[in-house]
Order: sequence, then structure tokens, then C-alpha cells
Amino acid sequence: MSIAQKRISRRKFMILGINAAGAGTGLLIAAPIVGSILSPVFYKSKYPWVMVADIQHVPVGVPTAYVVMVDQGGDSWQVPKVPRTVYVVKLNLINQVQLIALSNVCTHMQCDVHWDINLNIFFCPCHGGEYSMNGTNIGGPPPQPLFRYQHKLVGNTLFIRDVLVGGS
Amino acid sequence: MFWSGEAELADELQRSALLGKLTRPVSGLMATTYRWVDERLGVTDLVHQLLYEAVPRRGAWAYSLGSATLILIVLQITTGIFLLWTYVPSTTEAWQSLNFIEYHDEFAAIVRGMHLWGAYVLFVVIGLHMVRTFVSGSYKKPRELNWIIGVVLFLLVLGLGITGAMLPWDQAAYWTAVVVTHVVSYLPIFGTQVQEILRGGPQMGPATLTRFFAIHIWLLPALLVPMIGLHLILLRRHGEHGSWVNYEGVEEETEAERAQRMAHAEAPYPALPSDPGYAVPMDLDEFFPSQVFKDAVVSFGLVLLIFVMAVVIGAPLERAANPAALNYVPTPEWFFLPLDQLLVQFPQAWMIPVGVFIIPGIGTTLLMLVPFLDRTPGREPWRRPEVMVPALFVVLFLVFEALLAVNRLFNL
Repeated sequence: MSIAQKRISRRKFMILGINAAGAGTGLLIAAPIVGSILSPVFYKSKYPWVMVADIQHVPVGVPTAYVVMVDQGGDSWQVPKVPRTVYVVKLNLINQVQLIALSNVCTHMQCDVHWDINLNIFFCPCHGGEYSMNGTNIGGPPPQPLFRYQHKLVGNTLFIRDVLVGGS
Repeated sequence: MFWSGEAELADELQRSALLGKLTRPVSGLMATTYRWVDERLGVTDLVHQLLYEAVPRRGAWAYSLGSATLILIVLQITTGIFLLWTYVPSTTEAWQSLNFIEYHDEFAAIVRGMHLWGAYVLFVVIGLHMVRTFVSGSYKKPRELNWIIGVVLFLLVLGLGITGAMLPWDQAAYWTAVVVTHVVSYLPIFGTQVQEILRGGPQMGPATLTRFFAIHIWLLPALLVPMIGLHLILLRRHGEHGSWVNYEGVEEETEAERAQRMAHAEAPYPALPSDPGYAVPMDLDEFFPSQVFKDAVVSFGLVLLIFVMAVVIGAPLERAANPAALNYVPTPEWFFLPLDQLLVQFPQAWMIPVGVFIIPGIGTTLLMLVPFLDRTPGREPWRRPEVMVPALFVVLFLVFEALLAVNRLFNL
């Protein structure tokens, strides 16, 4: 093997080394960063039950807004609780009264909806979404019904968790 | 002609004398010190490289839009750095810190006002810079890739605008952040996960603000600054004369005349030997002081406007974010109004992704591909109706959408 050939193979070795070291350096830096970016997807939040109200005060057929203070569900570090609006609705069905706890978060772009007493709909002022009393989307851009809070009754006291489930 | 005989020589001498005065103090301690530094840093060479550049004589005021964009971005970076003197990126303190600025620190309130109005003026100037480049056909060979870099810069600035709007954590900021982070949930397959990544969890929370703060003050600027560098390096490489106004009469030129023009060309001309007609502008001027003067005047006017708006109107701060709001209507920043209108026009299930991703995506792709879609021969706008007419309709469409959105939001 001539000197020139040896030189080339040494040169090739070093270029390979540069690429390998570069890739290794990049991987060592990127792996923890990518992991930290993705971590919210794998983090399991804990949502405690929060008291809302005594449901005896809620009239049948009139969605009633309650503001409850919830913590951040363990998604991140401890901060003061944040408020959420819960629409407690007593639906008058044929044989019984059904109780639901609606979120006031529009399913389109998550703006805040409110119960319009004159039109008898939940209305979203952002892009004109409309929902009926049980949260069914009946007009505008929303793709699905209003979400509902997980709820439970202890006696006449309503508790919710800050977990949204699909509506009717 | 500019590049001929005695006129050229005289001009050359004048320029050398001018640059010499600028960069070489004649006598005394100053001169000694300057020579010592210059030997080691090469200041004279650098200044010559920056200032000794032939630029087109025609269209020079329109060309100042590019330098104005640069100055305004520098203004944003400067005012942004000094907003960090006070601002706290925390859901509990962000609003408090800005409220303090607004009511107890008049100068900081002006800095904040200049950051906001600087952004507004920047969007207008970038738009005009883009329109100027488009109308004058400057994206044609060899400048195709610099047009694409320009579009990427525009998108980065849009990203800076929308992330900046979230940082005050007042009602407007909070609900902007809610809508923007929810838009991504309509992405196919990984939508929910992307939303969680951006929010730092399924719900809006303290980690949402820190994320967008990091994106606004570090991630996007760290991408923006080197892209601006590349944009300018390519500008100098191609020469500042892509516009049609620099080539009026180029087609009536005889071969001999063109050969003579080419012979007198100097670096960075000819830009491309394969395209001789458009390689050397017809009529030249000096970058310093002719173009720098125009750039300075325009930039001063714009910064003055920004300062006056910051003092007179300032930056608004609504009430602190209330996640339980019942009837708050977030109005998007004006440069996002057309997109907001698409949210209304494409309602329900599968149509929502069409409105938020497909249509803006097609628009952005077409904008990037402009240099390759435009197969017209000349650069004059009236000889390129195939691109000028569709572009006019796109602009009218955007204005129309914005007006519809304004009408909707103010008639609730």
C-alpha cells in the first residue's frame, strides 16, 4: 500500500469519526430535550373531587352557573387554584329529573359559552357556536356537544372533578 | 453612462476620499490608536466591505423597506430585552408585573408601548416589503431561494406576534392562548398530544405560559436572527437590483452595448454569467451615502411614529386572566383576523381542519413557490398578468375576510 492510499484511508477514518462524534454529541443533547418536550403527554394527572353546590337550589330547566376553584390537577407545579365555570342543569325528562354538569368550554376553539336566557341556548360569542340545554351542538362551527364534568352526589351536594367527558 | 471614462474615475476618487475620511483619522494620537486597532481587527476593510457597494439609482426609496424591517426587528429585540427588566413569566405574576409597569413606571410603559406598536408597524412594513418584491419581479433568477427565506422570516415574525400576544396573561392573552393551543388539537392523529405538549398538560396552566415565553423570547428569535443573516448575505451576493426598474431598456440594447456594460461590471456583478441581461443594473448609485440616507430617513420616520403611538395610546392591559369567564369575546390581533374568519366559515367535524390547516397551508405553500410558479419572461408587473391578477385577488380576499371578521366581532 502506497503512502497516498494510506493517507486517504486515514482521512476517511477521521471523516467517519467526525460524523460519528457529531451524531453522538447531537443525540446526547437532543434526547433529554425531546423527552422534556414530550413529558406532558405521558404525565398522569390527579384530579380531586371539588364541591359545587346543594342541588336543591338549582331550578329545573334553567342552566345555573357555579364557579368552583380547582387546582391544576397536578399537571405542573403548585399555584393558586384557578376558577372554572360549571353549568348545573336539571333536565326535566318524562319520568325523572336528570342532572348534568356542563363545561362552559366551547368544543370548537374552547372559548367561553354562556346560557342565553332569551334564546334558550348556550351561545359562544367567538365564532357563533350554539348548543341546546343538554349541551347538544345545534348551530355554528362546534363539532361536538359541550363536554360534561365527571360528577357525583353525596346526599344533595354535587361534587365534580376537573375531568371533561364527551357529551350527549 | 455611469461606468465610463473620466466620470467613473472622478467618482471613484471621490468615493475613496469619502471612505478614507470615514475610516482613517488623519493625525495625532487618534490616528496612532486607530492604526494599532486597525492592524489587528481590520476595521477599515470591514467598513469598506459594508459601505462600498454599488446599488441601483432607481427604486431606492422603495428599497428602504427592507432596511426598515431590519431596524424594526432590532427595535423589537431591544425593547423586548428591557421588558424583561420587570416582566415575570408566571400565571400569578405576569399580569401583576405589567400592571405595575402601566401604573407606576411611565418609561417602562413607553417601552412596552413601543414593543407593541413596533410589532404592528413591523407587520405593515414586512407586508409592503413583500409587495414591493413581488410587484417588481425581484424574486426571479437568481433570487428564488432568497424569496423563500423571506417567506420563512415572515412566518417566524407571525409566530413571534401570536406568542407575544399571550404573554401579558390578561383576558385577551389568556383566551388567545386557549384558542391557539386548541387549534393544534385538530391536527390528525397526534392533535391531542400536540396540544398537551404546548400547554404542558391537558389544561391551560402555569407551564403553558413558561412554554410560550421560551418560544417568544428565545426559540423564535434564535431562528430569526441567523435567517436574517442569510437573507442579507444572499442580498449582497446577488446585488441589490432585482427590480424591473433597474433594467428598463435592457431589451433594446445591442449586443455591443451589453458587452460594454458587462465589461465595466464589478463585484458582485455579474450575479450570474448565465443571465447577462439581468446581471448588471443599468444605472448605479453608491450605497453610502445615497441609500443609507434614504434608509435612515425612513427608519427614523417609522420609529418616531412608533414612539408617538406608544406615548399617546400605549399598550392595552385588560383584566387579569379569568378561566371561568362567562361572556368574554377574545378579539384576535388584527393580523390574524382573516384566519379567525376561516374558523367561522369552516364549521363542524372535518371542515375545521380544512379552515385551520389546509387553506392556510395551501396559501403558504403557494407563496413560497411564487418564484417557480411565475414562468413569465419579463419583470415588469404589466407584463406578468398571470401572477399579478391572482395575487391581487388573494390580497382582496384577505382584506375581505378581515372586514367580515371585524363586522362579526363588533356587532355581537
